[in-house]
Amino acid sequence: MEETWEPKIVAFLCNWCSYAGADLAGSSRLQYPPNVRVVRVPCSGRVSPIIIVAALRQGMDGVLVSGCHPGDCHYLAGNYYARRRFTLLQRYLEYLGIEPGRVQFTWISASEGTRFAEVITEVTESVRALGPAQRLTINPREVQP
Amino acid sequence: MSQLPAEVRACIAEWLAQGEIDLFIGYEASSLPFQATPAFIRQPEEVDRLIWDATCENNLVSFLKRYRGQKVGIMLKGCDARSLVSLMREGQWIRERLRIVAAACPGVLDVRRMVELAHTEIENLPGQLLPQGWQHGETLTPLADIRHVTCALCLQHTPTDYDLLVGDPPPEEHPDSFAAVREIEALSSDERWQFFTQELSKCNLCYTCRNTCPMCYCNVCFVDQDAPRWFTATTAPPDIHFYQVMRTFHLAGRCAGCYACTRVCPQGVNLWLLLDKLRADVWELYQDDAGTNPDAKPPLTTYREEDDNSFVL
Repeated sequence: MEETWEPKIVAFLCNWCSYAGADLAGSSRLQYPPNVRVVRVPCSGRVSPIIIVAALRQGMDGVLVSGCHPGDCHYLAGNYYARRRFTLLQRYLEYLGIEPGRVQFTWISASEGTRFAEVITEVTESVRALGPAQRLTINPREVQP
Repeated sequence: MSQLPAEVRACIAEWLAQGEIDLFIGYEASSLPFQATPAFIRQPEEVDRLIWDATCENNLVSFLKRYRGQKVGIMLKGCDARSLVSLMREGQWIRERLRIVAAACPGVLDVRRMVELAHTEIENLPGQLLPQGWQHGETLTPLADIRHVTCALCLQHTPTDYDLLVGDPPPEEHPDSFAAVREIEALSSDERWQFFTQELSKCNLCYTCRNTCPMCYCNVCFVDQDAPRWFTATTAPPDIHFYQVMRTFHLAGRCAGCYACTRVCPQGVNLWLLLDKLRADVWELYQDDAGTNPDAKPPLTTYREEDDNSFVL
């Protein structure tokens, strides 16, 4: 059976900046790939590393976390704490042999609708280039030789 | 097996008798060869059971979580003392409630490697209980040849903060701790994945590493949590990866490098290769070493505006 594979990406967007940025992209009628499932979180600091790794485990091909730009956090410092965790997590996953690009982080403000569309395009294309997730996944997809 | 020196035992008995401590946690001989077992001493007359030698590999700091609110005396090696520092800087224990008996530790035995060296006697361990069929031989094996692999990475042989000291402090070695991590980093992504998949395939999820880790004190561990249920404990490789990745990452910025997890692992998984990467990164990015300063803030509970931002898209 010939089945075309489309990357499945989950994006954790902070309520105050990135989610509003996604809203703006939508209301501005900007085009971006439909591969992203958005999960709205109160703050990028809410995104525990276990949520990211669990998403990969359950079959996501890519994970994107986006919050307010440093200095713009609604809770003043949530994204600063998140930044330390994510720096370590990204380096750690790469060290363990997870392909760079499976887990990505970015800052998008509420006024950056265009930037949101660009980031989603970029992430989708880079995950597409990596192919279906095989590592950490419970039920890895068969890869065509 | 060697009993603690008489003056140390007398002092511990005195602490217990005077009520300065409610409990002393040390080591005593077990029924297994080359393995001491933790001893929990509450009566002054029991202190004669206490021993100190190279078979005392457990990190007793792990037991402190059971005795919150009590005054405890404890026997610590250099590595254990580092993990206690990390525990104290998270506010989990205060120095005023502790009496510390420091052991100047040249390294502990690797029981696995003992098998290769049957019929030999080890330096400093005369009279050690031997496995069935073994005899005390002529050869004295230098301890350095048979100490655990993580003892070659020792960050601190002797605790720096203590009330009593047992033994003569050996010279500190200051090895290049992160050489192995850098070697793995030099491999390609695929090679690293192969390497760790093979290493972790030894794991059978017995959770001994978690149970022995002095820093693992969550009331409910993520592997046991029901809502949400993060983890289905099968021994399929993705599950083992998930457990090991999440457990070790939970120690980012907290692991002091006592290597207790590696020493207790019944399957011989080299867990220190995972934890040392985190320690190396925390040092490189945030100049923090979890085992040195009990007054420092743990790196993930603080931030700087100029922290590394290069990893974002």
